[in-house]
Amino acid sequence: MKIRKANAGTLTNFEVLDFLRSRGAATDPTRVIAPMAQSEFKVYDYLVQTAACNQTKESIDEFLKKCKQYDLAKAEILNIINIRPASAVEIDSIIEECEKRMGERVEELVEMVVQVLPPPPNEPKPEEGMDEDKEENPIAEQMEAS
Amino acid sequence: MFFLSLIEHTLRVPPHLLSLPLNKAIMGELEKLFLDKVIANLGLCISVYDIRSIDGGFIFPGDGASTYTVKFRLIMFRPFVGEIVTAKLKESDTNGLRLSLGFFDDIYVPAHLMPNPSQFEPDPENKNQVRWMWEFQGEKYPIDGIDEIRFRVHNVNYPSIPIEQPKESKPFAPMVITGSLDYDGLGPISWWV
Repeated sequence: MKIRKANAGTLTNFEVLDFLRSRGAATDPTRVIAPMAQSEFKVYDYLVQTAACNQTKESIDEFLKKCKQYDLAKAEILNIINIRPASAVEIDSIIEECEKRMGERVEELVEMVVQVLPPPPNEPKPEEGMDEDKEENPIAEQMEAS
Repeated sequence: MFFLSLIEHTLRVPPHLLSLPLNKAIMGELEKLFLDKVIANLGLCISVYDIRSIDGGFIFPGDGASTYTVKFRLIMFRPFVGEIVTAKLKESDTNGLRLSLGFFDDIYVPAHLMPNPSQFEPDPENKNQVRWMWEFQGEKYPIDGIDEIRFRVHNVNYPSIPIEQPKESKPFAPMVITGSLDYDGLGPISWWV
């Protein structure tokens, strides 16, 4: 076995979740019919509880466009997409030297994240959470029908 | 947390798979070989993403199976140092915490990487387990297993396979992640919401 390219591209949690869904993880309640191993189902179970389960390709593209003005490192952008911080305290652990580089703009960045990326499933904010869940269901039904 | 890795491998496809279309037979063999296994310095293989090319189809003399050189991409799980990950508490003892991701359980937070200052006290429910408390501005915050814990990846180790192991020791862990909770915004989510 030869390793041709150790790193052929980073994946966000959403992309891995999308890949597992396209193999049939979401639509199979028995977990035997879909052509996936049990270990892949465990990864699916984990990802469905994180912020990635409500994200869409469009929201991530929009976020990438808007965060160019903040001059963040690639690893920081990846962390923000995977975790979806909702307050300044959470962003502080993701971005290095947050106060020096961003200063007052941290609040702007948090606002933008909360607007552009959908909240994770167990978020204690009923209005946002329920709207996003309703949006997600039609997409899931489309996938089942196809 | 996840990234793609391009691998090339010489694969022997056993004769009992000759009735399947080639793609499916090769996919099945690759999954048996790589899925849920750790490759040193690369991480834990989660899934086969796609097959890029299949060459060959040689049959070695005396063998009934054909051999293909396959190039394919695997989805590997390997958090980079400094990444923030959310996990559940699995065990907690005097050396520190052990966290689990469902598909990966060997995440340890040793005592010196806990938020400063913390102490532990014996857990009233379990005899062997202790409960860690963080003291901050006079208040005590416990780390209990109720909600998820955010930690920052400090280090990823791939210990080499031991030649002999004494019988009662823990099963060998080929990939160990060391995490740290010593920063703003880390620890159980309920501390910061």
